[in-house]
Amino acid sequence: MSTGHLSNDDFFLRLSELFDERRRKDHGSIHLTQKRMSYGEDTDLETSEPTIEQPFPDLSPSKPFPIIIRATNGKSKDRRDKKIKLSTIVEGGALDGFFAKYAEVCKLGMSGLKKRDRSKQKEKLKAKKKKQGGGAMVSEVKKG
Amino acid sequence: MPYLETAQLWLTQSTLLLQARPATTRITSKYTIAPLTSSKPSKPRKSKPGNESATPTANPAPAPDAPRATLTLKTYDPASGATLKYSTNKAAEVSRLIQILGRLARPMSGLPEVKDDVPILGAGAGVEGEGSGVGTPTVESVPAAAGGGKTGQQAQGGGAGGKKKKKGKK
Repeated sequence: MSTGHLSNDDFFLRLSELFDERRRKDHGSIHLTQKRMSYGEDTDLETSEPTIEQPFPDLSPSKPFPIIIRATNGKSKDRRDKKIKLSTIVEGGALDGFFAKYAEVCKLGMSGLKKRDRSKQKEKLKAKKKKQGGGAMVSEVKKG
Repeated sequence: MPYLETAQLWLTQSTLLLQARPATTRITSKYTIAPLTSSKPSKPRKSKPGNESATPTANPAPAPDAPRATLTLKTYDPASGATLKYSTNKAAEVSRLIQILGRLARPMSGLPEVKDDVPILGAGAGVEGEGSGVGTPTVESVPAAAGGGKTGQQAQGGGAGGKKKKKGKK
């Protein structure tokens, strides 16, 4: 079932597609999960057993674990054939860059959320500008 | 399964949970667009059968073009069963929430906290300075004890320095 992990860039590409696909329908959901990647050859077997010196080896790993990010379109059970699963692995050092881009993709994708209501703010701004308008103009002229 | 009031609260609690159980805790973000309004009123009816027939009609039906999407963040630790949730429908919060996810990914990965202990270091240095400032006049006012005073002052400074947080380095 799993198609293997995507590279970070491919993941973003496919995630955008996933969001686009959802946008064409009027309902649905997208699930995103992040978790420590502690499976496979990355696991440090020596430190995984608790000892008296290190009762909680998972709290102070010898090296940073990668994070696995998964995305699905929430189709399971009877509609499993339509299920889309994406996953990518982010190394500890690449977290900041990844999440900066992740934020952009999600911001674009989650367009169904309520936009900030700027109408009241604009009215306030206009009122302020009217009050300060005269003084600001004069100072600009002086500077010029 | 509590829903937390603010994103900040969710971040604080999730950070604590992740620090305690970084290996098993996972964070799920669910972006959902609810099905069309027609199916919405049926939910309260199901949950409240019988006498309260007025409630579904009292609920103002949302405008057809009103945003129905929500973003729910969930921190879940299957080992202890702890669950923390936060839900929002504001688009303005998305980028901040993803930032929070990135911040939470650090303890998850086993990396030290985000480097916002820099201001704490600055504050620590300030306290240290105040301490010696308070110490100096007392030494001057009691010249008889000045011999031991200086070393005591130094010891004070050392103690304050020891309280500093370790700098988080990769």
